[in-house]
Amino acid sequence: MEPILSVRNLSTWFYMEEGVVKAVNDVNFDLHENEVVGIVGETGSGKSVTVRSIMRLIHKPGKIVSGKIIYRGRGKEEDILSLPDDEMTKIRGKEISMVFQDPLTSLNPLYTIGDQLMETIIQHQNVDRKTAWEIGVEMLKKVQIPEAEKRMMAYPFEFSGGMRQRAVIAIALSCNPKVLIADEPTTALDVTIQAQILDLMRDLQKEFKTGMLFITHDLGVIASMADRIIVMYGGRQMEVASAEDIFYNPLHPYTHMLLRAIPRLDKKQDKLEAIPGQPPRMIEVPDVCPFAPRCPRRLDKCSKELPELAEMEPGHYVRCFNPVVESEKSEAITNE
Amino acid sequence: MNEPIIKVQNLKKYFPITKGFMIKKHVGDVKAVDDISFEVYRKETFALVGESGCGKTTAARTMLRLIDPTEGKIEILGQDISNYNRTQLLPFRRKMQIVFQNPIGSLNPRMTIGQILTEPLLFHKIVETKQEAYDKAIELLRMVGLKPYHMDRYPHQFSGGQKQRIAIARALSVDPEILFLDEPTSALDVSVQAQIINLFLKFQEELNLTYIFISHDLSLVRFISNKVAVMYLGRIVEIGDVDEVFENPVHPYTKALLSASPIPDPKIEKQRKRIILTGGVPSPIARPSGCFFHPRCPFKTEKCEKEYPKMYKISENHQVSCYLVEKEGV
Ligand SMILES: Nc1ncnc2c1ncn2[C@@H]1O[C@H](COP(=O)(O)OP(=O)(O)OP(=O)(O)O)[C@@H](O)[C@H]1O
Ligand SMILES: Nc1ncnc2c1ncn2[C@@H]1O[C@H](COP(=O)(O)OP(=O)(O)O)[C@@H](O)[C@H]1O
Ligand code: SF4
Ligand code: SF4
Ligand SMILES: [Mg+2]
Ligand SMILES: [Mg+2]
Repeated sequence: MEPILSVRNLSTWFYMEEGVVKAVNDVNFDLHENEVVGIVGETGSGKSVTVRSIMRLIHKPGKIVSGKIIYRGRGKEEDILSLPDDEMTKIRGKEISMVFQDPLTSLNPLYTIGDQLMETIIQHQNVDRKTAWEIGVEMLKKVQIPEAEKRMMAYPFEFSGGMRQRAVIAIALSCNPKVLIADEPTTALDVTIQAQILDLMRDLQKEFKTGMLFITHDLGVIASMADRIIVMYGGRQMEVASAEDIFYNPLHPYTHMLLRAIPRLDKKQDKLEAIPGQPPRMIEVPDVCPFAPRCPRRLDKCSKELPELAEMEPGHYVRCFNPVVESEKSEAITNE
Repeated sequence: MNEPIIKVQNLKKYFPITKGFMIKKHVGDVKAVDDISFEVYRKETFALVGESGCGKTTAARTMLRLIDPTEGKIEILGQDISNYNRTQLLPFRRKMQIVFQNPIGSLNPRMTIGQILTEPLLFHKIVETKQEAYDKAIELLRMVGLKPYHMDRYPHQFSGGQKQRIAIARALSVDPEILFLDEPTSALDVSVQAQIINLFLKFQEELNLTYIFISHDLSLVRFISNKVAVMYLGRIVEIGDVDEVFENPVHPYTKALLSASPIPDPKIEKQRKRIILTGGVPSPIARPSGCFFHPRCPFKTEKCEKEYPKMYKISENHQVSCYLVEKEGV
């Protein structure tokens, strides 16, 4: 089946006084119906800018400098980036919805949860207020907010952080979108609440067969959510593969090192292998491997040219001149 | 090794809640820390874990005597400092240092790194001359992996990880014996977190430091600490040897916290049975009756709603406050 969303050669830059911040460069991926694609990467690696570009939420001094975002959910192929603004409003919230890290950014403090739910429902579905109210109550029940009828009349400040994020998810899913984008939806929450929200998102995604783009910097969270994973670094995709391949067969030196730098709850480890150096600054970066300054496998060529994102194994893409090969991997994994 | 370096007994910290503008009426208390006891030995890392607001930072600030305890004893290196005044506390200010989560907020933006590092050296009279202070500051920078030319720069010129290195250098400058680490890496990227954690391990080994480590990240706690106390609404509900507590948790809250902590392994994650707690964290102002955890506890009985459970000893290095111990005779 054809993907519901295809991102092609997306580049988004910010024109700052200090220079051009090349936040996202030549990003390519597909998202299918009923599939969860995860994007992981450190702060500033370009995750949020990628998904904000898909929603066309990039404002000055930012600019989408190239690319296409093909959406196939309305019975035809449409390039989101060339739609008129009023068509885009029809897509946002109805076809593609987004959940942000901080639920307060998407909730208006002056309106009740019910008003905000009904507003989205009435805007996109041809229903009267009474029906919108009923759909709203149903949605609050779906996200397991107790006493849904009563909670429709509550204001955001009356909700805890976890309940607010549930309400945001209810609004995001109220029009049954084909694509849901979640940008670090649980980063601000305690682990027990995070577990509740992730559980809920997994269940609803399966129920509605939504295509989901799930963004996080947490490798544990991504392992529990994603079918396929994009690893980003310095505004570029470094590795794209199934979740299993990323975790058990990483080919990119960055992915490989990252997995050894994090502690694990289920194992007694005696050391963490730190990655030396710091994540790159994004201003005026040359077109070379962004990981080169920190990479122990660096070749001369790495700081002169940019490697292509190449398919090294079926469905497993890697951007590297000197990827980690099988024999070297087993040596490295002896750290129990 | 046999005398604890820190001994906390029945420590309480209540924040009064007042009403009224001119005449303040005391209407209740936030029981942020409510009767906690534990001992820490030299060169150990003792972790405090639990959800936001459970009292971890307040416990640390009280132990450091940055705020006054409401009740209880804080013994540091054999002396009860819980009622010490400013002058009496001075030597302890050197022995106990803290590194915070947010390196930006903890470094004075108008001071150079050199000033930040030499000031405590001169204040605590660790060195006598400015030249000696300068030399020692350079030595400290080298220890945390920075360079002498960094001395003249300002905090904003450094990355998050580098700022945390500076905060560590400052904490180490006064030759402390105990470091309080309050979420010291939670603002950092994972690739940088490992660098900082390895620094802590190295200094603990070289300088015989004792750590109080506060974190939300149980994987990190398992990696770095020897002992752990799980807090819920101001009280310790389970405490002991970290491997024992994490491998055989007894308290339903500990079990829920562990099962909610993600593991970077898709096969394990997809098969894991999770205990999903219903409801959020109750407020420390209106704590539930009996066992504070009972409204969220899948195992509660009638007794749990009435009386707070005592601490049961499960083994030499493992204690838990839950009635399940009686029933199951764990
Ligand atoms: N100065 C204060 N006045 C009143 N209440 C306070 C004060 N400091 C802390 N509290 C309250 O005491 C409780 C414990 O707070 P504390 O900061 O110790 O939690 P914590 O476990 O460190 O949480 P976090 O994980 O969010 O850092 C909270 O309910 C908090 O609101
Ligand atoms: N509104 C903006 N103005 C200028 N630079 C921005 C803006 N938003 C993001 N950037 C820059 O783009 C890069 C990628 O950011 P982002 O996508 O937010 O990263 P993350 O992976 O943490 O979500 C960073 O260098 C960031 O500083
Ligand atoms: S291209 Fe070179 S520097 Fe970049 S990750 Fe691969 S080996 Fe390392
Ligand atoms: S004492 Fe009762 S309510 Fe409290 S944790 Fe144990 S079983 Fe649950
Ligand atoms: Mg982001
Ligand atoms: Mg705290």
